[in-house]
Amino acid sequence: MPSNAGRRDLLNWLLGIWGGGVVGSIAYPVARYLTPPDVPEASMQSVNAGSGRALPPNSGRIVPFGSQPVLLIRTSAGALRAFSATCTHLACTVQYRPDLERIWCACHDGQYDLNGRNVAGPPPRPLEGYDATEQGDDIVITRRS
Amino acid sequence: MTRTAAVRLAVLAVAVALWPCRSPAQITVDRATAAFRDDVHGAGGLTCASCHKVDAAGQPRYDAMPRPSIAPMCARCHGDAAYMRKFAPQVRIDQYSQYLTSTHGKRMAAGEVRVATCIDCHGAHGVLRVSDPRSPVAPANVAPTCGRCHADPARMTPFRRMDNPPADWAVSVHAAALLKRGDTSAPTCNSCHGSHGATPPGVTDVVNVCAQCHVREAQLFRASPKKDIFDALGQAECLACHSNHRIESPSDSLIGLEKGAVCAECHDETGESAATIRTMRGDLDRLSAGLSSADAVLTRAERAGMLVDEGRAALRDAREHQVQTRVLVHSFAAQPFDEAARLGIGSASRAQEDGEAAIRELQVRRRGLAVATLAILAFLVTLWLKIRRLPVGPQDSTRA
Amino acid sequence: MGGRLREWLEDRLPLADLVDALRHKTVPHHRYSVWYYFGGMTLFLFGIQVGTGALLLLYYRPSAAEAYESVQFIVGRVPFGWLIRSIHVWSANLMVASAVAHFFSVLFLHAYRPPRDLTWMSGMVLLLLTLAFGFTGYLLPWNQVSFFATRVGTDIAASVPGIGEFIVRFMRGGKDVTGATLTRLFGFHVAILPAIATLLVGLHLLLVQRHGMSTPPSVERRAAEDPRTIRTIPFLPHFLLRDLFAWTIVLALLAGLSTFYPWELGVKADPFAPAPAGIRPEWYFLWAFQTLKYVPPTVAGINGELLAVAVMGAAAAGAVLLPLFAGHNHGSRRIVVWIGTGALGFMAIMTWLSLRGGQP
Repeated sequence: MPSNAGRRDLLNWLLGIWGGGVVGSIAYPVARYLTPPDVPEASMQSVNAGSGRALPPNSGRIVPFGSQPVLLIRTSAGALRAFSATCTHLACTVQYRPDLERIWCACHDGQYDLNGRNVAGPPPRPLEGYDATEQGDDIVITRRS
Repeated sequence: MTRTAAVRLAVLAVAVALWPCRSPAQITVDRATAAFRDDVHGAGGLTCASCHKVDAAGQPRYDAMPRPSIAPMCARCHGDAAYMRKFAPQVRIDQYSQYLTSTHGKRMAAGEVRVATCIDCHGAHGVLRVSDPRSPVAPANVAPTCGRCHADPARMTPFRRMDNPPADWAVSVHAAALLKRGDTSAPTCNSCHGSHGATPPGVTDVVNVCAQCHVREAQLFRASPKKDIFDALGQAECLACHSNHRIESPSDSLIGLEKGAVCAECHDETGESAATIRTMRGDLDRLSAGLSSADAVLTRAERAGMLVDEGRAALRDAREHQVQTRVLVHSFAAQPFDEAARLGIGSASRAQEDGEAAIRELQVRRRGLAVATLAILAFLVTLWLKIRRLPVGPQDSTRA
Repeated sequence: MGGRLREWLEDRLPLADLVDALRHKTVPHHRYSVWYYFGGMTLFLFGIQVGTGALLLLYYRPSAAEAYESVQFIVGRVPFGWLIRSIHVWSANLMVASAVAHFFSVLFLHAYRPPRDLTWMSGMVLLLLTLAFGFTGYLLPWNQVSFFATRVGTDIAASVPGIGEFIVRFMRGGKDVTGATLTRLFGFHVAILPAIATLLVGLHLLLVQRHGMSTPPSVERRAAEDPRTIRTIPFLPHFLLRDLFAWTIVLALLAGLSTFYPWELGVKADPFAPAPAGIRPEWYFLWAFQTLKYVPPTVAGINGELLAVAVMGAAAAGAVLLPLFAGHNHGSRRIVVWIGTGALGFMAIMTWLSLRGGQP
């Protein structure tokens, strides 16, 4: 049977091991927390919408902004426009019609012009606008405050 | 009778004759005058004499106008472009000519006075603009106004007409949109029948009427085999499946071969259409099931505190595809329909996966917690043993 | 190597004196000594708050436009962010509970008697500061519940005559609860209140070291007859290891609560939406909230709410200054026990009624 001193040493040793485990289970989450995540900040103010070259004039595409869709358009003149893609009538997702050069909702034939104003059909309000700018090769869409 | 009594009676008679109370005719005039204060004609400077005949002394005569003469009288001004330009340059001036083409106008011209003319819908003395919400022809009020006759069996029976359209419309999705949600783009009686030229659309023209708003469905229908078949049968288009006034929210169960489904009224198990119908219904059911299952798992994850943005975006996508799939029903063909349904089912399963991943992450957390708790428990047990074996036990206060 | 390091440090810092003092410190051990642990527990939880709070500060943004989203980001995207945030909230609740337990145990064991009156007063202010920490922190996630609870809570200050309006404007940073309120309460929560609390905790601990742990009068009386009643245990290592034991249990509890009952985000605050049904403050304010609901609109011509707030204010002031009136003799201590029991019972019943959803 180990002597008292021996048992005390064993106890202290075990205490050290398990204590280290406890400290580790605190230090590990904290260390992971301190490391910045891949997406460094909440994308509720602005979103990278991909390459500018992939958007020719007189075309549009839908880009996710958080969980909401945004319609990004490049007009025939080359200007960038961005609007909420949720139709103000009954919340269908709108699309860009190159033949009409207008934003069109397939559900009830609602139409918006390139300033987002509702110009034909049932939609009662214009589409909410976003700012779209080119930064280098990428297009960045920002919410308007 | 004594002279005194006769004199008293005479005085009484004169007093009664001269007493300032109003005759029934006077009451109507007073009511009309009061209503005219709010009238758009009154605001424009017109007076009683503008419409009512004036006698030799220049006083208007308020006899009831013969009903057939009312519309021509209104048209004297409302059909005169130069005159109307002075008050409202943009207002139309073809109401009378439209009226003459309408069922009401034709019957009135043939001598039937029990049909509607201008004053029955617009009122006579308190006429308001259509844009005024109090007007009987403001969009929200049109159905009750038409219903004054068209929902009254006493009025409709002599013409051998049904009296249910207004009541049917009132329980439709269009009524709910207009009256409950205030969506003024939703159709009411005049949207489909016309207002001044009111006539029910011909059987082959119905699709054009609905196509005013439901463009996609109409395009698909016109390109489908059904258009020619329905026209040949004299079968009313859209109405055959959706009804004309009592248009309710369509459900997937309208498609199918079982009793209660609309297709079953013409189609049965034999024939090649049966396979298409069964495919369509199967796809719709799978899509609907996928959506509700994804929604359930995403909600469970959200309730547990997890964030599922991508899942919600995928679910939104799936809903879009479901709308498109349901529209593609009107092509009555398996092909573009199947494609859209498959895209929807794909999005729904992506949403489902995202939700399930979030739930799995919860399990990972719990396992991590179990590991940490084990370390803590081992530590506590060892610490307790150490405390018990501490060399110096509790002491007497006298020994400190 | 370790010995050389210790020598180097001891030449420069008064480590030896500190360790010596602690080695001589003893803690009484009697039937009530389990209550001694609550002070240290409150301090431990405060330490957890400072630690997790500092970590949250790395990602939180104190503006109305970004606060909610930043908390959403912490909970959803930052690794273990969910854990840090839930521990912060649960530990806040446990700290208030521990502080209240500490308060009542000191009250009933009469540890506020001289020479510990200054310890008591600094402790009372610390208790009020803890409640202020809870109130200011509650708004920071900027969700519907906390927005409207803050509006209702700050409205109560308006009933104070004369300076009521000023107090409300001071707390809100303006007339209404806005982004300015968020930034202001954030400043209080992370800088001003911690600075004051640190100073007071330092004073409180210094005084506890100076005067040692108090022995309740009933135990002292029994010890006069039987010396074996009071035993003492050394602070180092006996009491400290027991402290550590309790702290570790609470740590495990916090981890478990955070995993199985994570705190929810709620819905982002919308000042123009109607107030959600059943707005309630935090649980530790529920008793006051419910009392105010029961008070009639006027009592003998005075505004009922004002009267209730005045009574609660007077009670708090009385509690802070308690050692000046009572504790020196048996009679006054009996009164203190009665009042304390009544207060505890009142607060418990009011809290229960509020949770039940009782409307007067």
